[in-house]
Amino acid sequence: MKKYEAVIILNPNLSSKADDFIKDFKKLLEANTFNIVKQEDVGRRQLSYSINNHNKGHYLLFNIEGDPSKLIEIENKIKYNESIIRHLFISVKIHSGEDSQLLLDSKNKKNEPEEVVEKLEKVKQPEENKNEKPQPEEDLQSEVSDTKDEDNSEEKDDKDE
Amino acid sequence: MSKYELPKNFGYKDVNILKQFITETGKIIPARVTGVTASNQRRLTKNIKIARFLALIPYTDMHK
Repeated sequence: MKKYEAVIILNPNLSSKADDFIKDFKKLLEANTFNIVKQEDVGRRQLSYSINNHNKGHYLLFNIEGDPSKLIEIENKIKYNESIIRHLFISVKIHSGEDSQLLLDSKNKKNEPEEVVEKLEKVKQPEENKNEKPQPEEDLQSEVSDTKDEDNSEEKDDKDE
Repeated sequence: MSKYELPKNFGYKDVNILKQFITETGKIIPARVTGVTASNQRRLTKNIKIARFLALIPYTDMHK
């Protein structure tokens, strides 16, 4: 049993069928006595340079372990799969159980639109605050009344003296 | 030194780290410039080359 990391870049036009591909790939791995320890679907990502005239790629990461001699058979089948534009198997000593930076980045990108919405809400909030301004004034008034009371009490004190 | 900080564990997927160690044209910056230890520089070059293959980092700025 050896541990491997597999990176597969799918044709971006077929990224909607990524789930089907993952299922097929799992079957292929299991047929060759490979276990999937962890899988990450990073999603579509800009390629740094065009591969086969594609500017984007659907990245899939797998942490797998299995028999090295069977890996060749898996690779032979993947080679002629036209939906894959690039693939890489790397042997590793230890599988890091943490999410990869690529996945985190893609999650952050997905969250960005939400953040923009939040910002818009924040922009709206000050307007609401304008409407709410009367409240602080009321507080001031109450404070003023408080101070008046204090003044009165002081005066009373004065009178007592 | 302070400009180039390396975490203990990094791999080909940590694109933001690797990008600090390549020039604008995509070349790997020599260790004598960055002050990275020799063993770390070896790890860097390996991981940069893997990341290039996976199109996470450009080989050059001449990609059309």
